[in-house]
Amino acid sequence: MDLNNRSSGSSMIVPIAVGGVLIVVGGLLISQLAPSAFPVQASAESEQIDTLFTVLLGIGGAIFLLVQGLLLYSVLRFGVKPDDMSDGPTIHGNTLLELIWTAIPAVIVLVLVIYSYSVWVDIRQVRDNEQTVVARGARFAWTFEYTDPLGRIEGPISSGILHTYVGQPVKMEMTTADVNHAFWVPVMRIKQDLLAGRTTEIRFTPTLAGEWRVVCAELCGSGHGLMYSFIRVHETEEEYLASFIDPAVDTILNPPPDPALRGGTILASGAYPCSGCHVLVDEQFGINWAGVTGPNLEGMGDRADNRRSGFTAEQYLANSIYHPAEYLVPGYGALMNVFQNDDPAAPYYMPEQDLQAIVAYLCTQTSTGESACNAEGLVNYIRDTEAPDFVSIEESAAAEATPESTADAMAEATAGVSAESTAEATPAPSGESTPEATAESTTAP
Amino acid sequence: MAAIPYPLGGAQAEAKRPAFSEYLRWSIDHKIIGVQYIVTALFFFVVGGGLAMLIRWELLTPDLDVMANGSAYNSLFSIHATVMIFLWIIPIFAGFGNFLVPLMLGAKDMAFPWLNAFAFWLIPPAGLLMLAGYFVGPAEAGWTSYPPLSTLYSPDGQTLWAISLHLLGISSILGAINFIVTVKNMRPAGMGYFQMPLFVWSILATSIIVVLATPFLAGALTLLILDRVAGTAFFDPSQGGDVLLWQNVFWFYSHPAVYIMVLPGMGILSEVLSVHSRKPIFGYRMIALSSMAIALVGFTVWAHHMFTSLTPELRIPFMITSMIIAVPTGIKVFSWLATIWMGKIHYTAAMLSALAFLSMFVIGGISGVMLGSVPVDIHMHDTYFVVSHLHFVLYGGSVFAIYAGIYHWWPKITGRMLDERLGRIHVGVAYVSFFLTFFPQHIVGMLGMPRRVAYYDPQYQTLNVIISISAFVLGISTFILLYNLVYSTIAGKRASANPWRALTLEWMTTSPPPAYNFVGDPIPFEDPYGYGTEASKAYIDAMEARFGPPVAPKPAPAKPAAPVAPQPSAGD
Repeated sequence: MDLNNRSSGSSMIVPIAVGGVLIVVGGLLISQLAPSAFPVQASAESEQIDTLFTVLLGIGGAIFLLVQGLLLYSVLRFGVKPDDMSDGPTIHGNTLLELIWTAIPAVIVLVLVIYSYSVWVDIRQVRDNEQTVVARGARFAWTFEYTDPLGRIEGPISSGILHTYVGQPVKMEMTTADVNHAFWVPVMRIKQDLLAGRTTEIRFTPTLAGEWRVVCAELCGSGHGLMYSFIRVHETEEEYLASFIDPAVDTILNPPPDPALRGGTILASGAYPCSGCHVLVDEQFGINWAGVTGPNLEGMGDRADNRRSGFTAEQYLANSIYHPAEYLVPGYGALMNVFQNDDPAAPYYMPEQDLQAIVAYLCTQTSTGESACNAEGLVNYIRDTEAPDFVSIEESAAAEATPESTADAMAEATAGVSAESTAEATPAPSGESTPEATAESTTAP
Repeated sequence: MAAIPYPLGGAQAEAKRPAFSEYLRWSIDHKIIGVQYIVTALFFFVVGGGLAMLIRWELLTPDLDVMANGSAYNSLFSIHATVMIFLWIIPIFAGFGNFLVPLMLGAKDMAFPWLNAFAFWLIPPAGLLMLAGYFVGPAEAGWTSYPPLSTLYSPDGQTLWAISLHLLGISSILGAINFIVTVKNMRPAGMGYFQMPLFVWSILATSIIVVLATPFLAGALTLLILDRVAGTAFFDPSQGGDVLLWQNVFWFYSHPAVYIMVLPGMGILSEVLSVHSRKPIFGYRMIALSSMAIALVGFTVWAHHMFTSLTPELRIPFMITSMIIAVPTGIKVFSWLATIWMGKIHYTAAMLSALAFLSMFVIGGISGVMLGSVPVDIHMHDTYFVVSHLHFVLYGGSVFAIYAGIYHWWPKITGRMLDERLGRIHVGVAYVSFFLTFFPQHIVGMLGMPRRVAYYDPQYQTLNVIISISAFVLGISTFILLYNLVYSTIAGKRASANPWRALTLEWMTTSPPPAYNFVGDPIPFEDPYGYGTEASKAYIDAMEARFGPPVAPKPAPAKPAAPVAPQPSAGD
């Protein structure tokens, strides 16, 4: 690399050759570190992408060694002697050298572009026999929808966990109910944003059985870090189909006679995105939610009765699901999705039977285990909600000013997962057209 | 060699610092404005750094335990990034440009002094607006502020954020127009474009980008503000808007903005490496032209920030352009390496910072090529790998260049030498702690930790603790610099006109320069980097005879016998 004495070329060949070999070998060695920085490979795509990365790391590692080596050598070799105030040699450039370090990187990036392109084409290929899964992102939870692989029921089956099996190509069709999200499975090396107002797609083929994290990778708000779920890759198709029967299909095919049991199963299935915001632990159904942006649901049945004057427990709970912004628990913002039973195609569709079951289940969340609801009142009340003038807001606001409800809510907030949540004041969306704000919000005094 | 161009004779101007109060009010002196920019930017550097410390404190554990809630955490990194980009790096380079460009051109001031002052005075109100967000709920949608999160789901601070950026954008555009006109029209006789110092080249390239790109930011921000306050729906798909519109227009500005943030640093590097290794810059034309190439190609790569949201068919063209831009960047890096090769390297704090830039920026460049490859980016996008990459470019690159610039030009700006020993300690600590802070982030990201999260999978905790502790050391190291700046400005050794024996024109006047910079018109040396020739030595010696001898760059005085030349009397 001597820039000045190229005339003494032969004496420079040895150090250049030695340096070159060291750099190439070093680059190769560095590239072997790649697997230790990646999680396991669980998809066909991950193998190709990791190989591409390994090549990039090898080339990058060689360039790293070249530059840092020259830098270190210069720093050690060309330091000025004390008292030496003279200047270095007047070298303004060297056309050949400049051509070399323009051309070689250009060739390298050209090769990398072609290689990357071929990998890209490959991982995007449409495969035969794809399983289509619809993914819905909502702050801050994932919902996955399937058609029943055994054709037992019509319409989609929802679950909070993505089920598939080894070797089955999957095509995701993804929409979001609110802001942009991104579907990322680190072990599969695949990621695609969910864009408001569009449907986006991504394909992958799992190769390793196990339960892997699905992570939201696009900032979506306060609970962004909590917006994760799992993809369960079954060993075989048989295992996949067997596990598929419960709980999602089972609930639909053989609804438990007790609405409370059915509600617990529905909530546990993840069909509705509650787990991202609320706290609820129930071992019977395997529910273990740890959200922070919504009120705590532990022991909800004990509080539902006197939370809002003029509302019985079942009325309060049902109202809070279909009209969440009407009454806000102090310290919480109007963040909850507005569920409705009008339009099955729209996001946040919750049929009446589901509402009834979920409310019945929540009513059983009491210290004694006794339901806080009147089963008949529940059915009647929900039937009444069909009427357009569901609850007059003025009416309810006027009847609202009870000190107990505030004190109770404060106690609940303190008992919740974050003691600061009363001061949290999750900001309400400021735009006028937000989905949450369609019902005029009335904050408790 | 041509005839030795001796400078004109003339009386030594009194090198007196302007009164302190001058800096607090409207002034049209480019040197005062330059210092106003630099000090304001340093203030915001501390603010943004404080926010970064809170981020790292929160990330010591996988749960949310320092901040009150997720929104508060989100506002930390949103404001941190915005402050660091728009109120620290961009303004401090504008400050260096303001102070140095007229001096390097032998001019008395910028082309439009009043406009220059106006551009600066937009910054303090913009900064206040940005921080005022904390009174109404600060912006929390990240500095990229993608709708609909930033439109329908953000508090009022987001509006203030947008208005603040609007003001900062106007400031940038006005400053850039001023630079372009100044460089075009105010070069001294005998200085063609290819005799300009490379710092001036880099400011020219940067200004061209600013003038072409910043209006797009203004457009995007206007739409955002209208969506937020006027009920329009440019970004609301439920009413026919499109969320990708923002991403495209935003990145059409914000990718070139990366070059706005790094090209002036590259200019500083060219000056510092050449002067402190006593050797001409290697491949002057290639470095100058590669700045222009970067500026140009930089406009065609924006969508590589959208590899997971852009229509898949459009990703490949952007991959090609993004990778091509590595070539001119590589030219610069190799040219700098060849510059110090066989030089006489003086290990001043300025030189060490410049070497730190070279060493760290290369890592950012390599990870940049990795991210430019679409299949790899599909995995890396929006992870800590990206956080690491951007900090290697903007901290390992820009900020170390800023440090180099501060150590190199502070004597010219204040007339006092900085404490070299403290300077070298600062650069050393910053270099090591920077590397330990940001290098492990590559691995955390690859393993699966997304960026912008307050909660993370506990398996990443060990690495995050290492990162946070290193970050705290890095944060503390900044105070060594700040202490040095304050202490040396008050009580440091006096600086001579040309302490580093440099050839560019800013050194051919007293330190600090007098009002209107030069007595008479200075004659530039034929080659701003012509070190090692008899002519250049004669030129520097002649200047030295006129203004007094240099303070040796090494701590041991190299010329003990030199008589002390008339120094400026004590001036505050």
